[in-house]
Amino acid sequence: MRGKAPSGQQTGKETTDSSLRPEYHVVSRIMMVQGGVGEHSERDFVSDFYRTYPRGDRGESSDRMAVHNKIRQFFFPSFTPKFLIRVCLVALFAYLFFGYLCIPFTIQGISMEPTYPNGGINFCWRLRYFFSEPKRYDVVTVRFAGNKVMLLKRVVAQEDELVEFRDGKLFIDGKEMEEPYVRLPCDWNLPPRRVEKDCVYVVGDNRSMPIENHHFGQTSKNRIMGVPLW
Amino acid sequence: MVKIKYLLIGVPIVIIGILAFFYFFPNEEKKVKKQFNLLSEWVSKSPDENAFTMLQKMKNIGTLFDERCELKTPSQSLSGSYTREEISTYAGSARSHLSQLDLKFYDFHILFPEKEITKVTLTGRFTGRSSTGEQVDETHELECALKKIENKWLFSQIEVVEVLKK
Repeated sequence: MRGKAPSGQQTGKETTDSSLRPEYHVVSRIMMVQGGVGEHSERDFVSDFYRTYPRGDRGESSDRMAVHNKIRQFFFPSFTPKFLIRVCLVALFAYLFFGYLCIPFTIQGISMEPTYPNGGINFCWRLRYFFSEPKRYDVVTVRFAGNKVMLLKRVVAQEDELVEFRDGKLFIDGKEMEEPYVRLPCDWNLPPRRVEKDCVYVVGDNRSMPIENHHFGQTSKNRIMGVPLW
Repeated sequence: MVKIKYLLIGVPIVIIGILAFFYFFPNEEKKVKKQFNLLSEWVSKSPDENAFTMLQKMKNIGTLFDERCELKTPSQSLSGSYTREEISTYAGSARSHLSQLDLKFYDFHILFPEKEITKVTLTGRFTGRSSTGEQVDETHELECALKKIENKWLFSQIEVVEVLKK
């Protein structure tokens, strides 16, 4: 028993790979004990061996090795050309997806509270209006010169509709609208105005501030980038 | 294997070479962007800014503009044509009302319709805090025209685009 490796294993070259293969690690420890380096007795290393290799597993070390290798390969992959191509493809996909289709953004400001609180994180899904038009009550992102800074607003009126605020209540074509998302008190008054062609009228959900301090109004449909993902 | 080794060494060298070329020989777009960066740097104000820095920045702001610069805003009160000195004075006055100020530019779209003229569309974000402690946050789309005079791009027109029309 002393100095013998478990069946099916070699003790020569493989001992140098002890950090990679746990079953060989035991062999290395046995050899150290033989040389009198370690403090373990023979009984210790034998019991270690049996703890490491339970009864059913002793003859299946190659299977374990394959699993360990797969795990190792997953976390520490080899730097091969194939791997480089895979990394490049993933990076390209991520760049296109998160740069043009599903743009991440942080919410700065309170104009959409309480629906979208200040400091929240979201994604702008750009394909939402690829085949359809923005509808009333949709929350949309409105761009400035590009997509680095955008406005998050709710569509309240569509083209050719008459928008008006009376004592904080929204009226479209003279009819009062239900707005369950407006939870904070509002006392705005805005004379009626008609939404121009190819435009929508957008307002934030938080109308508790004076009307002069809130950014809202008519904007071109071309400026609508997409919708928040949630 | 040797080929890969040469590739791994060669590709970064080529990339570094290209980057160095663009750094030491900037194109016109870079020069235009640099003017915006300078404007941003000189308009911005930190809470601990001293009087000397403030005066220096005010003086510098004027050098970025043409002899006359046209300003177009949705509110008629600010629109008009201003001289360099007027712009410096106006910027200094606006800065004095704020304890902290940060101007940043995003999303540059630079066009060269003529040889010595460039049109730039971009987003300008102006954040800060007034001396009374009130938070300021203004974002606008801007359309700027710059003229190349004595090898320097100078602002000749700034127009604030109305994204939301009340």
